[in-house]
Amino acid sequence: MSKASPLLALEDVHTFYGRVHALKGISLTIAKGEIVALIGANGAGKSTALMTICGRPNSGSGRILFRGEEINSLDTDRIVRLGISLVPEGRHIFPRMTVRENLDLGTYLRSDHIEIARDLDQVFDLFPLLKERTKQLAGTLSGGEQQMLAIARALMSRPRLLLLDEPSMGLAPLLVKQIFSIIAEINRSGTTILLVEQNAFMALKIAARAYVMATGLITHSGSSSQILLDDTIRAAYLGG
Amino acid sequence: MFLLALRDACWLTLLAFPLIGFDLVQKYGETGKEIIFEWQAIGTIFIGILLIRLAAGFFKRYRIYRCPEGRLQEAKLGISNIVSKVYRLFDHRLHQRPALVTLFALAVALPFLPRVSNAALDVLTLAFIYVVLGLGLNIVVGLAGLLDLGYVGFYAVGAYGYGLLYQYWGWSFWQALPACGMIAALFGVVLGFPVLRLRGDYLAIVTLGFGEIIRIILNNWDSFTNGPNGISSIPRPTLMGLEFSRQAKEGATTFHDFLNIEYSSNHKQIFMYLLLLSMAVFTMFVVERLQHSRLGRAWIAMREDETACAAMGINTTLAKLSAFGLGACWAGFAGGFFAARQGFINPESFTFIESATILAIVVLGGMGSTVGVTIAALAVVIIPELARGFSQYRMIIFAVALVALMLFKPEGLLPAKRRMYELHPDDPNDLNHENQSVLEVTRQ
Repeated sequence: MSKASPLLALEDVHTFYGRVHALKGISLTIAKGEIVALIGANGAGKSTALMTICGRPNSGSGRILFRGEEINSLDTDRIVRLGISLVPEGRHIFPRMTVRENLDLGTYLRSDHIEIARDLDQVFDLFPLLKERTKQLAGTLSGGEQQMLAIARALMSRPRLLLLDEPSMGLAPLLVKQIFSIIAEINRSGTTILLVEQNAFMALKIAARAYVMATGLITHSGSSSQILLDDTIRAAYLGG
Repeated sequence: MFLLALRDACWLTLLAFPLIGFDLVQKYGETGKEIIFEWQAIGTIFIGILLIRLAAGFFKRYRIYRCPEGRLQEAKLGISNIVSKVYRLFDHRLHQRPALVTLFALAVALPFLPRVSNAALDVLTLAFIYVVLGLGLNIVVGLAGLLDLGYVGFYAVGAYGYGLLYQYWGWSFWQALPACGMIAALFGVVLGFPVLRLRGDYLAIVTLGFGEIIRIILNNWDSFTNGPNGISSIPRPTLMGLEFSRQAKEGATTFHDFLNIEYSSNHKQIFMYLLLLSMAVFTMFVVERLQHSRLGRAWIAMREDETACAAMGINTTLAKLSAFGLGACWAGFAGGFFAARQGFINPESFTFIESATILAIVVLGGMGSTVGVTIAALAVVIIPELARGFSQYRMIIFAVALVALMLFKPEGLLPAKRRMYELHPDDPNDLNHENQSVLEVTRQ
């Protein structure tokens, strides 16, 4: 937060689904190279915040700045073009395409074939399981593998900012651990990450800073260690 | 394997039964007809299919498979190598070309063979129009996954495009044809805008309405379209300016005069046949290429998951509009050809049943499969013609055949690989998987 110009900044963003006021003015910033967690209970508006950044739907009012550029009224594809990549909640892989075809679609906007091949190798290093299954239809992968594929696919676009929506959803504890260590590794190699999670403990372990949301508002923010120690937050979101 | 063959033979015989299993005979001096069962024909079919299926099952072992170490390996069985090569000519993707070229050559040669009647050519010509329509709708429904029940509207736009351009400005077929495609594509995009946010059932209802609106406008705008009376004496296409009529119009030459041969009505028929054949082949080629293009991948991604598609940086608005536009464009071409073939059009030709037929072609053929849709189009036009002998029962027979096919082969005749997973996830042969451990993996 101390840095002069953050990679992403939300300023008093409101989002509406029809008449439902889902985001009631949230502000947050993410600096380059950071990993920031956005935690909160069901229906707090975490996913909406993420989707609003991606322009699905666009924000009703307020400003979203990415690298100093206003993106709040752009279409999703324009936003993705600027270097924001989303791993949607519930994975959203293309089930009737092979693993390889899924990854190829991640590079839809790129034409630097040599670099793409290099990134593919990197992604396979990160997720060796996927390499074994390149020709398998993505819909036949297990839940954990699908989550890995979704993250790998997002990485293939070489994003400046990676938005992860509930990567631990519906996964076995062991797998959750594995996914989170991979997320930390992706961050170490230079990708900025905004992580939305219900599994607040895990998220706070790998994130440097965190925002806590409730009913469409950001109620707390601070470093992960601060938030982990905050009694009211512990009671509300971390199960005591 | 024998049991499998027996099963398939039973199903196919059951499918064939309504078509060839019985005959309706009108007895002299009696009213009504009598049903005669053709047990012999049914028996022949059953045994024939059984043998073919057994043979096919045998050849199937010649498929290339990947062994666990990852090496490509061809299984070797005792039968002569030639047989396996012939089979692979048709089986393996890379080897499909010679087979297609052979089929194309056969189709070109067909009108010049003896004992091929004008009527048969006429049916095939119509079938080729449906091939174009089916492949066009396949772009919208099969690739982009947008259920369009008003496709006939664009077909009508194409047909009336040519009809009206001729009537008001005297445009020739070749001048009007590109215009038909473009006007229809424009209508496609116009329809696309209001339905951008709709999917599935809602989209189907809006497109259904759109198709009807076009027909009703054509029917009621008397001063412009001549209403239910339609447009008549639309000229046939010419070959480089040569006409296929007995007597040329002023300033024109006829085909038979030019070549100094006797006039024959066959020429016209053969010309239309070859024209539509090349149009159908051209469409197949373009649609197949489109499918593997960047745009095609965007369509398929959109059909699979719209949110993820947008997250890939694909402009879904553009993808949808282009699918509607390009799909409609082919309907426009088909309409132009239809008007030229009939020489007469009226709104009656463009009712909802046409949309349903074209959609049936796409579903029967296997959504997203170019070859499958082509075969289905030919079947859907030709089967009712073959069943003409049953007079009023023929459409019932056709319907029974369709229902049976959908019950027993829901993925269509020649499905695109992707659909196999959805409908037969347990059949490891069809999944093209590298390793079989997939079956142990939990499915979503």
